[in-house]
Parts: sequence; C-alpha cells; structure tokens
Amino acid sequence: MTERFDESDESLSRRLAGLPRYAAPARLRVSIVEAASPAPRRPIWLSPLLAAAATTMALALLVLPVLPRITPADPVQRYVRAVVSEHSRTLMWGARHGEILPTALPWLTEQSGIALPKVFVGDERLTFVAAEPVYLERQRGVAIHYRDVDGHMLTYIALPAPGLAVPDRARVPIGRWRPALLRDSGFASWVWKQGDVGCFIVSDMVSADDVERFKEYFTRIRSTTEPVPAH
Amino acid sequence: MADLDFQKQALAHLDALYNFAMYLTKRPPDADDLVQETYLRAFRFSHRFQPGTHLRAWLFQILRNTFLTFYRVREREAPVAEDGVPEWDVPMFHHAPEDDGTAMDAHTDLERAMRRLPEEFRTVLLLAEVEGLPLEEVARVMACPVGTVKSRIFRAKERLRGMLTDYETK
Repeated sequence: MTERFDESDESLSRRLAGLPRYAAPARLRVSIVEAASPAPRRPIWLSPLLAAAATTMALALLVLPVLPRITPADPVQRYVRAVVSEHSRTLMWGARHGEILPTALPWLTEQSGIALPKVFVGDERLTFVAAEPVYLERQRGVAIHYRDVDGHMLTYIALPAPGLAVPDRARVPIGRWRPALLRDSGFASWVWKQGDVGCFIVSDMVSADDVERFKEYFTRIRSTTEPVPAH
Repeated sequence: MADLDFQKQALAHLDALYNFAMYLTKRPPDADDLVQETYLRAFRFSHRFQPGTHLRAWLFQILRNTFLTFYRVREREAPVAEDGVPEWDVPMFHHAPEDDGTAMDAHTDLERAMRRLPEEFRTVLLLAEVEGLPLEEVARVMACPVGTVKSRIFRAKERLRGMLTDYETK
C-alpha cells in the first residue's frame, strides 16, 4: 500500500483534478443578482410630499380636538338636535326635578322664563312625570316630561325662538294645526311655534302606528298648553 | 455598481468560485457568504478590472483575499466536534453525490490530507491542479512570483504524499 502513494507527480495531479466539484446552489445566484441590483430609486418629489402629508396629519390631530363640533346649518335642525339631546338625557338619567304641577309653576316660571298659563297635566293615557327648566341653544326654556301607557317617554319643550321658521315641507295637518314632523337620531319631534315661543314634543315613536298616536298626544298637549315669555 | 454585461461574465464563474470557497471554508453556509461577498466586491470595484486579463483569476483573487480577511479569523475559532476530532480533520467529500464508493474512499483521504495543508499550499493546489489555472494566474492570485508558486506546489504535493501514506498505513 505504501507504494501506492509513491506515485508520480502526474498521477497525483490527476487525482487532484478528479476531486468532486461542488456546484453553486441556484438560490445563491439569485441572491447575488438581487443584492447587486440597485434599489429602485424613490422619486425626488416623494420625500417632500410624504413630509408634508405627515405634517398635515400631525397638525390635524392637534387641532381636531379644539375645532367646534359640526352642527347643522339649518336652525330648525339645530333646535331639534338640542331637544332630542335633552330628551335622551332624561331617558338615561331622568328628570332632575320631579315636581307636581301646578305647585311648582311659579318656581318653574322663574327659572325658565316661560310662563304656562295653561298646561297639560296628564290624563288617562299620558302621565305627567316631571317639569324642569332647561337651557338649549343659548335660551332658557321649560321641559315637561310625560310617559304614555305603553311606556313611551315624551318630552315637551318650550323656549324663546323668535327667528325659528317651521319648515313647510315637513308640516303635517293635525286637526286645525300644522306642526312639522322632524326626525333626528332615531327620535321623532313635533315642531311648531306659538307666538315667539318654539315648541317641541320629542319621543321615540317613529313607526307608522306610533306616529298616529303621537299625533293624538300632540293634540292633547297643544290644545291645553299655552307657553308665553314670562318677562 | 457593475453593468449587466460584466455581471453576466462574472457569474459565468460562479460554480468555480463556489467550489473553491467550499474547499476553503469547508461549510456550505460559509461558502455561500464568501461567494456572495466576493461578487459584491467584484461588482463594486469592477472599474478596477483590466479588460483583457483573466476575469476568473481576478475573481479568485478577491475571493481568497476576502477569505483571508474575514473567514480565517472564524476558522481559528471553529469548535471541536463532539467526537473530539477537530472539524478541519473531518472528510469533506463524504456527502458528494457523484462519488461511487471507491472514489469516495480515496477522495476522503485525499481531502483529509488537503485540509491539513497550510492555506498557502492548499490554495496553490486548488487553483493549479483542481481549477487548472496557469501558473502565472495562480501567482497573481497568490500575489507572489511564479517560482514561489512552483515551489509551493512541489512542497504541497510532498506533504500530501506523506499524509496519504500515513492514512494508508493506519
């Protein structure tokens, strides 16, 4: 065996040349080509645009909390939204003052600025719940809450609204009156004016059947309630 | 970075470079890294390549320099295998798929002996005998005179014969 390795120079060279060869894996070629490829150049205008967009977004985030809330441009809608909010508050937390009319009327008139020479105090279908002064649309007013036999809450609100124009397109004839029926946030509202006082009745009675009963309730309240400015 | 023609010409030698890298590093992941680094350097400094000279020798030179710069440090820190045999003494070709049993055995001893050669001896044998580069190109890769290359080849073969004899008599 020892003689085997006393081989000639040519023999050893042949053995070396015959050593197995390792071929490069295909992925290596791919990775080299990818690494050698220059990264796609970003358009020259992209960086300033991104910077401007980021600045705008940051400013918007800073300013957004101090921007005024978006309110409807239509004054009637603004009033309706305000009275619906008041009604919602009553549904969630109840009336703040549960007084029995008419003993509370002097206090209520004093606080609300609205006198009620005549007021609907409830009947077999609508039960008086509470009356309280409110402050809506920068006006003092009076709110009277009722509950019907089916559990629907109704909120009657009267407050000075000399510039309020009841929209004709929403008016609904009920007997000798033509109040407007407006909807907001899932609530229905009757809107009408008595002199310079804007009057509203809000409820969640929005279905066709409910609206018919809501008309009856309007008639009862409208015919027996007379709000006037106290001073 | 190099133009596409240069890249294409350089990548034609990928298999040869990878084979050389495998003999130097002994580990496929290291060979991958070494070859990739070699190509990236070649592409980056393609303007230094002199047209008309051998591109393959230039690439081998970059690969060897890169190996000496980075990978020999790691090689010195190579851990000893669990069986106590240093990693540099493990046969490299026992997974070579194209070998039959007889050739595998012979190549295993030959490769084991190759691994025990100093890098200067191993590289001249790989370039001159395995890759078939002219001695002038080997001298360029090794950055030494042709006479030195001849001397190293002679001495490397002498050492190989001695080690192969030792393996055979064990």
